[in-house]
Amino acid sequence: MIFDIKKLIKDFSLSELRSGMKITAKELVNKKITVQFPEERTPISPRFRGLHALRRYPNGEERCIACKLCEAVCPANAITIESEMREDGSRRTTQYDIDLFKCIFCGFCEEACPVDAIVETQIFDYVFIDSRQGSIMTKERLLKVGDNNEKAISEARAEDAKYR
Amino acid sequence: MADIEIEIDGNVVKAKAGEMLIAVTDREGISVPRFCYHKKLSIAANCRMCLVDVEGAPKPQPACSTPINEGMKVHTQNEKAKASQKAVMEFLLINHPLDCPICDQGGECELQDVAMSYGSDVSRFTEGKRIVANSDIGALIHTDMTRCIHCTRCVRFGSEIGGIMEMGGTGRGEDLKIEPFLKEGITSELSGNMIDVCPVGALTSKPFRYELRTWQMHSVANIARHDLVGSNIFTQTYKGKVKRIVARDNDSVNETWISDRDRFSYEGLAHENRLLKPQIKMDGQWKEVEWDKALEFAVRGLVDNALNTGGGNKLGALTSNTATLEEFHLLQKMLREVGSENIDYRLNVKDLDNVINLESTIKLVELEKVDHSLIIGANLRLEQPMINHRLRKAALAGASIDVINAMSFDFNYRTNSENIVSPGQTVAILAEVLKSILERSCAEIPKYLGKVKIGDVAKCIADELLESNNSVIILGEHAINNPQAASIAKLISEIAQQTGSTTLNVSATSNSMAAEMVNFVPGQGGLNANAMLAADLGAYILLDVYPQYDFHNSVQAIKSLDNKNTFVVSMNSFRDKEVARYSDVMLPIASFYETSGSHINIEGVMQSFAAAVSAPSESKSAWKVLKVLADLLELSGFHYANSEQITGEISNQSHKQKIDNKEINITAKRGVSVIWQKSPYAIDVLSRHATALQATKIGQMHNALMNKATAKKEGIKEGGQYLGVPVIITEKVANNCIFVHANQSTGDKS
Repeated sequence: MIFDIKKLIKDFSLSELRSGMKITAKELVNKKITVQFPEERTPISPRFRGLHALRRYPNGEERCIACKLCEAVCPANAITIESEMREDGSRRTTQYDIDLFKCIFCGFCEEACPVDAIVETQIFDYVFIDSRQGSIMTKERLLKVGDNNEKAISEARAEDAKYR
Repeated sequence: MADIEIEIDGNVVKAKAGEMLIAVTDREGISVPRFCYHKKLSIAANCRMCLVDVEGAPKPQPACSTPINEGMKVHTQNEKAKASQKAVMEFLLINHPLDCPICDQGGECELQDVAMSYGSDVSRFTEGKRIVANSDIGALIHTDMTRCIHCTRCVRFGSEIGGIMEMGGTGRGEDLKIEPFLKEGITSELSGNMIDVCPVGALTSKPFRYELRTWQMHSVANIARHDLVGSNIFTQTYKGKVKRIVARDNDSVNETWISDRDRFSYEGLAHENRLLKPQIKMDGQWKEVEWDKALEFAVRGLVDNALNTGGGNKLGALTSNTATLEEFHLLQKMLREVGSENIDYRLNVKDLDNVINLESTIKLVELEKVDHSLIIGANLRLEQPMINHRLRKAALAGASIDVINAMSFDFNYRTNSENIVSPGQTVAILAEVLKSILERSCAEIPKYLGKVKIGDVAKCIADELLESNNSVIILGEHAINNPQAASIAKLISEIAQQTGSTTLNVSATSNSMAAEMVNFVPGQGGLNANAMLAADLGAYILLDVYPQYDFHNSVQAIKSLDNKNTFVVSMNSFRDKEVARYSDVMLPIASFYETSGSHINIEGVMQSFAAAVSAPSESKSAWKVLKVLADLLELSGFHYANSEQITGEISNQSHKQKIDNKEINITAKRGVSVIWQKSPYAIDVLSRHATALQATKIGQMHNALMNKATAKKEGIKEGGQYLGVPVIITEKVANNCIFVHANQSTGDKS
């Protein structure tokens, strides 16, 4: 009986509506936390494992030495590498493919790489526009991703270096 | 040696007194790390990795050079042993670069493995590392001497197994460098084994450089078919291609070594010259067709040109000696089913009525136990490297080696006497030897030896043969075209019988023992290779024949095969201009390691092997092609599902020595004789296409050698050509003899 009266008073005084409107009123003046993707982006951890890239040294030489450790460690068998001796006698890849349909973004390739050549960037918004072949990141595409994002990649690595 | 008991890690182990500790631990499966120790090499004890704790000894002892004693107590795993192993590992890694990711040895590296199990996890070394300049040591081995840990396995291999000390250590301490003494690099015919014995990546395979990591490959046990030994190998494959060949241990065949020819010939498999599609010749034009069409065309040709017109007698079959046992068997079975006995594999013999008929009566293992050997007409070292290795072991143990050759060769052991006589004189010298032996044993001297005058050389050889208890007479390839080849073989059998010696016939190589086993020679009423070519047959089936190389008289052979009325079915693994000229059908067949089959080695031991990879493109195993050809010819009994069924069918059909009553002819032949030989790396089609092998010094052997007097007689000058081969004048060759090594196709060899 007493409960019924309390409920009636609460209902008729619109107390719940008022407390709701209070939050609404507060958020009306507070800073918004949603962002306008893709124009605006949320911050990403330097350890984020997104799209892969192959890096170069500052002098333009590709880092990858075709040691195939990433290929060996890859749990999804997503990496295919062919290598040969380049004309100058150094060990280089002739093919470096990552099948993004197979890849599980575990980051083992990055961990295994002795020269920081293969890295996972913070890029996560990519699409495969042309057929299934589009899912295969070839050496050229990987190097291009690396070239375009070298600044972000090296910053992320520098930021995370002290925890490694 | 008495059995004694020692204690290792608390377990009592039986061993022989005087054995080295590491041999005992290896046998017992106790792991002791090592770098310089190798079971087939002498003990150097310079890496110090195998230190173990021996009770009573003040300091840890190297297991490789510590002989065991009764009651010895050894700890391989206690703190003292582990600490010393860890310390040695740290010292070894001081100057070893950390370039495992680009090192071809990575993944199969002994240093890597031992560092993982016995080393420290962090390096305390911050100073600069030593860098050593590389030297180019030839087309087969790549060096990265910065990685060298000075175990000296390669140096010991050179001096103990290879027989020429080409690698050595110069300088001392920090400046010690392992390098070849000579600029021309490594020339040994067994040099590839240095790659296998090197525990680190200092010596790696050049053709294989940077291609693959070791863990990517699939190893298939296989047999090398290049010589009479049938070395046991692993063919390592990746994505259906043979990428590397390494030795497989088999103490009764090749121990742990293989020759360079066995190791590097695989390169030829990927050569652009492979025949990949069946082709038929229509109105003089080659046309690529499907298999069924090509086979139909071949069968129609065989029937029209031979079987229907003259019966089986009009059909002939010739092969090179690299075919497998099963291929030899199927081809001869097919020919005999259609009623033809025109079968032969001895294409390089000039006179097939005068052939060597000599059994090999010694096992390879026993070869290293002989106390005397007489080598006749063989450059054993390059022709049969593994047989030569066994003989070298015997020579090092004190066996005396006598040689009767037409040219002085570079033996890698000391010879008792090296007699350089022209091929025409060989028979005479053997007759003298036989007569001397008969005289000494007071036996009756046959009539043909009556007039023979015994010279000093023959007397010495006869003495050696009589005095030894365990002697072997080796007859080599140079005798096959000797004007008295048959007599030489008979004299050798006779000498062997009189002296109780064994014989070894290395006059025909590759898989020729298999051809003999299945009787791949003309039977009653059949024509031999030379007679076939002269007889104008209607049709031929040729199995992997390359006329410029395989036939003794290639010009004549090509001419008679290129007859308009002759229908030629060629089964080849490689394309060849001459083959294309005379053939009517070319069927692509699998090459080495692409087909299953068997090899018969000189002991008569059959070693079967499976295909390591499938044949490229549309080429097929020859036994399958032959099977289908037989089916299309409507012959029965050719339904095989796999090559093992064929092997099972083969009984030892080896024709028993034919009794021929031809007398031994011992008249020495006067005039200039020619020994024409394919150079050691040109003996089969696969080796000829192996680029790295061809770039070696042995692969480049392409010369006609003769002495001044012979050259004058023949009107040849230094720098000139003899039948298209560059001439070298040297006094190493016997008078009246021209010795030709050819690695390229050339013309008339008669």
